[in-house]
Amino acid sequence: MLELRDIRVRFGGLHALDGVSLSVAAGEIVGLVGPNGAGKTTLFDVISGTVRPHRGTLHFENADISRTSAYQRARRGIGRTFQIPQPMHTLTVAENLTVAQRFGTGQVNPNTVAEILDLVELTDRASRDAASELSLAELKALEVAKALATQPRLLLLDEVLAGLEASGKRRFTKLLADIHARYKPAILIIEHDIETISTLCPRTAVLNFGQLIADGAPDVVFSQPDVVASYTGAVHDA
Amino acid sequence: MQRRALIGIALAIVLYALVPLAFAGNLYLMSMIVAALTIGGVALAWALLGNLGGLVSFGHAAFFGVGSYASALLVMKAGWPIGGSLIAGGVCAALAAVLVLPALRLRGPYFALAVLAYAHIFRIIATEWKGLTNGAGGIGNIPRFPVVFGYDFASKTGGYWIVLSLVLAFAAIYAWVRDSHAGLALRAMQHSEDATRAVGVNSQFLKALMLFLSAFMTGVMGAFNAHYINFLEPDYAFSGLWTMLPIVAAIFGGYRTITGPLIGAVVVYLLDQLVFKALMPIGHQIVLGALLGAMILFAPEGLLSLFRRRRLQQGGVPAAASRNA
Repeated sequence: MLELRDIRVRFGGLHALDGVSLSVAAGEIVGLVGPNGAGKTTLFDVISGTVRPHRGTLHFENADISRTSAYQRARRGIGRTFQIPQPMHTLTVAENLTVAQRFGTGQVNPNTVAEILDLVELTDRASRDAASELSLAELKALEVAKALATQPRLLLLDEVLAGLEASGKRRFTKLLADIHARYKPAILIIEHDIETISTLCPRTAVLNFGQLIADGAPDVVFSQPDVVASYTGAVHDA
Repeated sequence: MQRRALIGIALAIVLYALVPLAFAGNLYLMSMIVAALTIGGVALAWALLGNLGGLVSFGHAAFFGVGSYASALLVMKAGWPIGGSLIAGGVCAALAAVLVLPALRLRGPYFALAVLAYAHIFRIIATEWKGLTNGAGGIGNIPRFPVVFGYDFASKTGGYWIVLSLVLAFAAIYAWVRDSHAGLALRAMQHSEDATRAVGVNSQFLKALMLFLSAFMTGVMGAFNAHYINFLEPDYAFSGLWTMLPIVAAIFGGYRTITGPLIGAVVVYLLDQLVFKALMPIGHQIVLGALLGAMILFAPEGLLSLFRRRRLQQGGVPAAASRNA
């Protein structure tokens, strides 16, 4: 479904991504881990079209999307969330989803909006509140809901559990499993919590200094010495 | 809803019937009201670009001038009827706005400055292209509005009805756009363009649409003005006043509302021409500048917000309901 080949991104002298190749199959859940500054969010920016790579190609559902804009990729079926939630502040929760659905899919279906709101448990706040009035957990849920409203076949989730308490994380992990069971999108998820990755993802890719250093089953990947040195070591240091 | 409809009908009766009845005998005052509404139309177009497109323009004089010249020349040289040439004036202004498209990538003051420079280019073209525009000598005897069903629309009251109808039509279009899905997306874009693009919004396209719509409205107002005053010259048609006065009016009235720029234009222009000018024949616009400064300091949301605040203090209209005035 998604095929990245030799992706390179430089910010000045910094190699944010250095020859990354990665593929994701339809319906697959892949965890993307690595220490801070490894290039995970940059990779999401490249896939979603926010950042143009200096080299490399992207194929999505057998089409070359390397030169398409962010909005075109969203319409093709690539949905994403942002590490720092970016709601449409002045709009209500329901309006946020309506805009996402209208522009992401070309149509508005209030039933689907209601279904998504119910799934992320934001029905009570749908038309009453502006998005700017939501708590962090609700903002994270809205990020996911907005992406879902575009009917993505590939969902990019950037640290959606970060900042949540343990019970919130458990609830959110179950929500993501429910979303996958119901809509069957491929999911690429950035997450620092190894337990969550191990629970959700049959496959994990590890980035370090812009390079892909491991890709496989979580238990295998997390026992590799270079991954332990880079990722888990960095976490312990932090 | 019924209450709003009744208010709308009452307002229409006041604007279309009572204002002409009350002031038709005073030609000077009627011409001031027509000029105020012309500025109000441009202020509305400017506010649409600022409020929905998130773009501050210092170059609306260019769209006004292009609309003026296009309509006058189409009527005088190609024999178009004035009704058609008003629309064509707007279309020509929108086409002229195509040249601004590259500047849409600029943000904040850079866009404003780019459009300011662009407006000067059009003024120079109008001055130097003597074969078409007669250069600095200007164009005189531009045909006036015609007599329709025995009523002379070239009169002050006829001009008032035309400009009022144009302004109300533009306000209705503005409200329709604002309340559409595109309007929601445009409002959302002002907080995070990346977030809206990530859900499929073509932000550059929507901003370009707002630019074209704003230019079209301004061009139609320019076209109206050309046939109302019957004379054009580059220094008048492309004057910076066609940018400055609408900005002052929109900020004074409240540029984030639809009624604000219109009320601002009427209040600011009539105050300036009827009161300040009488007290200070030279330099009367200093008072206007001071008033604007005070508004920005004490009521940055505009004149209407002062009334709204007062009503809220008295337990009147809830904030959410008043947001869309």
